[in-house]
Amino acid sequence: MAREIPYIAAVEEAIFEEMGRDDTVLFYGQDVAPSDDHRFVQAYGRDRVRVSPISETAEIGMAVGLGLAGYRPVVELLMAEFMLVAMNQVVNEAPRLRYMSGGQVKVPVVFKAGYGFTAGWAGQHTGSIYGAFMGFPGLKIALPSTPADAKGLMTTAIRDDNPVCYLINYLLVLEHGDVPEGEYSVPFGQAAVRREGGDVTIVATGWTVGRALAAADALAQEGIQAEVIDPRTLNPLDTASILSSVEKTGRLVVVDQGTRHGGASAVIAAEVAEHGFGTLKAPIAQVTALDVTVPYSEPMEAYVLPNEEKIAGTVRQVLGEAPVAA
Amino acid sequence: MKQLDNDRLVWMFTQMLRIREFEERVKRTFEEHPGVIRGHTHLADGAEASIVGSLATLQPGDQLIATYRCHGYPITLGTDTKAIMAEIYGRKDGLCGGYGGSMHLVDPGRGFLGTSGIVGQGIPQATGAAWAAQIRKQNQIVLGFFGDGASKQGAFHESLNLASLWKLPVVYVMENNNYNVATRSEQEDANAAAGEPLSVKAKAYSMPGVTVDGGDPVAVYEAVGAAADRARAGDGPTLVESKVYRLSAHGNIIAPPGVPLHYPEHEAITVFGNREEYEAALRGDPVPRFRARLIEQGVLDPARADEIAQEVRDEMDTAVNFALEDPYPDPAAAARTDYVYA
Amino acid sequence: MIDGEAAGRLLRTMWRIRLFEERVAQLKRTLVVHGLIHLSIGGEGVAAAVCGQLRDDDAVYSGHRAHGHAIAKGAPVDRVMAELMGRVDGLCKGVGGSMHLVDAEHGFMGATGVVGGNLPMALGTALARHLKGTDQVSVVFFGDGAVQAGHFNETINLAALWRLPVIFVCENNGFAEFTSREEHSTIERVSDVVAPYGFARETVNGSDVPAVYEAFGRFLSEARAGGGPFLLECLTYRRRGHYEGDQQRYRDPAAEQEWSERDPIARLTEHCFDDDVAAEIEREAATEIEAAVRFARDSPFADPGIVAELVYAK
Repeated sequence: MAREIPYIAAVEEAIFEEMGRDDTVLFYGQDVAPSDDHRFVQAYGRDRVRVSPISETAEIGMAVGLGLAGYRPVVELLMAEFMLVAMNQVVNEAPRLRYMSGGQVKVPVVFKAGYGFTAGWAGQHTGSIYGAFMGFPGLKIALPSTPADAKGLMTTAIRDDNPVCYLINYLLVLEHGDVPEGEYSVPFGQAAVRREGGDVTIVATGWTVGRALAAADALAQEGIQAEVIDPRTLNPLDTASILSSVEKTGRLVVVDQGTRHGGASAVIAAEVAEHGFGTLKAPIAQVTALDVTVPYSEPMEAYVLPNEEKIAGTVRQVLGEAPVAA
Repeated sequence: MKQLDNDRLVWMFTQMLRIREFEERVKRTFEEHPGVIRGHTHLADGAEASIVGSLATLQPGDQLIATYRCHGYPITLGTDTKAIMAEIYGRKDGLCGGYGGSMHLVDPGRGFLGTSGIVGQGIPQATGAAWAAQIRKQNQIVLGFFGDGASKQGAFHESLNLASLWKLPVVYVMENNNYNVATRSEQEDANAAAGEPLSVKAKAYSMPGVTVDGGDPVAVYEAVGAAADRARAGDGPTLVESKVYRLSAHGNIIAPPGVPLHYPEHEAITVFGNREEYEAALRGDPVPRFRARLIEQGVLDPARADEIAQEVRDEMDTAVNFALEDPYPDPAAAARTDYVYA
Repeated sequence: MIDGEAAGRLLRTMWRIRLFEERVAQLKRTLVVHGLIHLSIGGEGVAAAVCGQLRDDDAVYSGHRAHGHAIAKGAPVDRVMAELMGRVDGLCKGVGGSMHLVDAEHGFMGATGVVGGNLPMALGTALARHLKGTDQVSVVFFGDGAVQAGHFNETINLAALWRLPVIFVCENNGFAEFTSREEHSTIERVSDVVAPYGFARETVNGSDVPAVYEAFGRFLSEARAGGGPFLLECLTYRRRGHYEGDQQRYRDPAAEQEWSERDPIARLTEHCFDDDVAAEIEREAATEIEAAVRFARDSPFADPGIVAELVYAK
């Protein structure tokens, strides 16, 4: 049974239900259920649900220690940039301990944070920095773009025995969508084809999936059928689905809200360039944020980010139907 | 905490000797078998009393997290010294299959949850493990070991605040050897500069802070034991400052491949020209000091002490020989995805 | 006690901040000001009493709740308003916004969006002054929530060790975002957290402007004479939510009543001014703020292309 609920409720539902199934799951972070009346506390008690101060290194480091000690913490970090305060624990500890121990230990933790809140939250709260994290083996990355995926990917993240950066796009929190009731999980490493089409493959992440779908609708009016693929997880990355789509269409446009350099789109473009070269009829194109800190003022902020027009325009270029930009 | 009977005292002495001999053999490897140990090793010689005194308080289910200066803990817990040496030598039967090396030993089955190579970063991890112990409600505790240098880290501040707030069953053991690599504590710590013991930092977290002579294993046992009892009773964490003197330099020299590695002299001499400080520390060496005390108290007789010393030498000889003979891992083992991902 | 002239300047600054913030709240509701806004209503006294005693060449750093500090430090209200509206005549050409205000000319070295992120920066500025041998001081504002962050500890140790001319001003309003202080720490008073470091420290009522003025003034003259570091904890009241839009379901109504009696403007007015003079000061501030709003509305948005020019210094 599915019913329509907002994205943010779907995330919470996943955590709440999973905590009911597995009492090693913990949930804590800044402003997480400070009141004892909160339903999480009522259901699971203060052993498992706590509010913590602004102490990212300790919050994330504790998660590592809890993981080593057999628990499955979900840490609420609020904004992805706050993980930067504790970069060491995120990239140098959590994903590396298993390997360095020769497989003896595991760190089953979920780092939950929001990103990409391009609604005037300005330079330090608005980035899409997960691309950099793709360079840290051992650290999985999930970017749900729909309410159903928000629930399904969180369930999988909690059950995964590895550290997972589970990132919600703040622009999507109130989007409604059908979400299955009860136990529901979406596997990692399995991209979703959001729209089928034969003329061009658009790979898009998070909030840009919606922009890509809007661009695809506009392009359809011009007789261009775009296939839109949502990888859902950047690590593991379902390169096979992307390659198979490009084999069909011969053209690839990669869309990501992060910057051009050191971002997810560069990794995806490189994989296809290397492994799908023979199937390409045109160079790969990327639609990303400009390589700048996200500015505050609304027109500037919009200028910097990918949008429907930029995506559609890039598709037209790739199809040779528009002059190449200078 | 339990009273220390003679058997326990002799056990403590034996562990101290085992740590000392093991570390000496690591150091000698640089001279006797150059090229066998790569990277950076950090020895616990001088800290044996503190390590053993602390670990003597452990009960089943207790856990600990340490720093990169970690050999002494698994040795005391009973981890096979052949495996530890083989790990340091990067061999396939090393404790971690050669994946970790000297700084990243772990033995979860014996409660040793691991280390961090980054100063201070094991403190929050120990704090998390203590939360787990709190949930289990089996009166278990976690010991979090770190050095004086770590107490300037944000991780220290954040963790102690949280542990105190949530009354976590953790004992924070700061092994203060007065040096942070080549810098003396009073050059980098406001309390040390003011002539205060570092345990005063506990005041900022509403927890007790005690300073103990880390060269006296019984004193350490009593201090850590009292803190452990407090933690088990649900009264929260304690900061124990255990004063030690490390008898080796911070670590072997750092050099690119091709340059032979070795242990230089202690920084007191090489950086500060203070040979007298170092010689005084040698005179106060906790291992012979404890031996003499046990003999004087009639707990141990000299012949038995010598016997133990020989057994220990034999054990570490075996460890070195095993490790030298053990093959290196198959290089392709580096790509084992089941070690990257659980 | 403060003299009449100082009181007048303080009241004027406080009204300027109060009316500015109230106007911003209105403009936010109609989305003329957008994004994440944190208001300092209730905290005007500390901003005025501290910054009002500083020179342009003293550095001030602040956190995300920075409008009052910037204005008190000398940032022109019209340029702050334009920044909040994202216009080209804003302090930062509209690029920074509320949490990233900078007015280098007046020594307001920056707000920050990451709690406590500016603490070590203030230390650096203090060190530079110390090395240059000048009598400039470095002041950093932060909330009680920042005290639990690791960078607080790291900064405090170094400030004490190197005896730097930095004055830490903690506005303890009892909340960090939506959670009250006792969920964050076992230590009620921030000044007790630095007790192990032998800091010169004091806790004052942030609504008592003369008390803040006097305490800060003492620290300031010691700092100029080469002393340091100092911690001044000001107990304040955050009138509005953490951010504009915060429903504040977590606040205790009795506390609300108690603190409405501690409005720093009302107290200073009652103690130092007769009604006519105070009303005139308020009117003048209102006129300034209206002019600021008009200035900001009339300012265009920057050409978006400027973003590429701002990434690197040339």
